Order: sequence, then C-alpha cells, then structure tokens
Amino acid sequence: MSDEVATEDDRQLLARAQDGDMSAFEALVEAHQDKVYGLALRMTRSEADAAEITQDTFLSAYQHLKDFRGDAAFGSWVHRIAANHALMRLRHRRVAQAAEAELQGPEFTPRGTLADYPVTDWSRDAEEKALDAELGQAIRQAADRLPEGYREVFLLKDVDGLSYEQIAEVTGDSIPAIKSRLHRARLALREAIDTFYNRDNRGP
Amino acid sequence: MYTCKDSINLLLEYLEGEMSPDEAKHLQEHLSGCSPCEEFLATYRATPGLCKRALAARMPKEVSSKLTEFLRAKIKSAS
Repeated sequence: MSDEVATEDDRQLLARAQDGDMSAFEALVEAHQDKVYGLALRMTRSEADAAEITQDTFLSAYQHLKDFRGDAAFGSWVHRIAANHALMRLRHRRVAQAAEAELQGPEFTPRGTLADYPVTDWSRDAEEKALDAELGQAIRQAADRLPEGYREVFLLKDVDGLSYEQIAEVTGDSIPAIKSRLHRARLALREAIDTFYNRDNRGP
Repeated sequence: MYTCKDSINLLLEYLEGEMSPDEAKHLQEHLSGCSPCEEFLATYRATPGLCKRALAARMPKEVSSKLTEFLRAKIKSAS
C-alpha cells in the first residue's frame, strides 16, 4: 500500500515539524487528513465521530512527534493512531451485532464442489470502469452487514492498508484470527458483488 | 486432490504466497482443472480493489477548516 513507503516530502516535512515548524506539521496534516477521516468514517459510520477522531489523531501525532522515528512512514503511523481511536470509540458503543452465521459465502455441494459459480467474470470490469453507482451502493450495504469484528479487519486491511501486525496491535487479536476473518469478509463481499453482476442471470 | 471448498478456503494464503510448496501444488492442480474456481479466484482477487473504490471518502471542507482551527488552538495553548 502507498502508505507503507515514506515519501521524500513527508520525510522533509516531518523533520521540520519535529524542529517545531508548525507550517510543516500542517502540511503533513493536509496530506493525510482525507485518509485518516475516511478510515474513521468507515469504521464508526458517523461523520461527527470521524471529525473528532481525526482531530484526536493529529493532536496525538503532534504530541508524540518527537518520539516518532522517521524509519516508518508518517502516513502509516497516523493510520495506526486513527485505527486505535476509532476502535476505542466502537468498543464503547457496542451495537447489535450481526451473527457470524449470517456471513454469506460461496455454496458447495456435499462433495465440496462449487454449487454456483461466476456466470459473469466481472474481475476485469473491476480494473477499468468507473465504479457503477448501484454497485457502489451494493458494496457499502454488504460491508455494513458484516459482523463488526469482520468489518473492522476488512476495512483496516483492504481499504486502509494497515499491515497484519498493525491490526493485531490495535485489535489485540492474533494474526491467524485476523486472516481468517479477512478471508470470510472478502468471501461475503465477493458474494455480494457477484450477486449484483449476475442479478439478471439467476433465479431468486 | 483438493475440492473446490478446500481450494477456496486457502485462497488468502495462496495469494499471499504463504503456502507450503506441497499445498500450493495441490491447489494449482485443482485450479488448472476447474474453471469455476479459476474464475472464483479472479473475482476474489478483484474484490478488495472494488470495495476500496466503493468506500472511498473525502473530508468535507468545513471539517478540514475545523481541524486546522482545533489543532492551532490546542498547540498554541500547550506552548
């Protein structure tokens, strides 16, 4: 992911910010605020919470600026801080959870063969086309239906690009558990996209 | 010989190159003889990218201005 690599601009800005140059810190904030806000908004699904988490994240970053070593990317570091803040907030407001059993996935015959496979191979469309508005909506709804622990892992890994190690650090879960949830979440989302593409080809 | 179910269970490890050579060989054998699974793999691989695009968000301008104000006030009062 792009955030794994520290850009030269970030490195220079960081060095200046660490020396107390406020305008350099503000430039770093401006460069990363959309991603931090996006992460917080997706995780909490609340614009007000996302705005506050973004504020708290950059304030924490500023307060710990001197401790931050430039060997990691600034973007990756603030992403981890934001994930921490977002998860803390989510832990405080436990909402009704979708049960794991509701996670959709492919269906198999008793012999372990795919019962229903892609009638339309939409994988190539995924790279080229502007995203269809209805497909976007279907994906957002499917992501919303994921049980919380699965949704969090999927968002942090596949959308926000955190590493497994970072996710393990902020969630307290083991890497194998995270991978297993990520896989189940991807299967459920793949199913939702497949249903969208094949909505005219299959019976109800 | 792996079934479709075995293969699909292993797709994440496969794509991340974390399987033993033996497992990878069994999986490749299944995939090369099973076009539904081949297509399944292609769509599984395309899923994160599509989701990322669908879930992209930008910070509204007024939130961005508030953020700047907030940080300036906090940092000024601390120094």
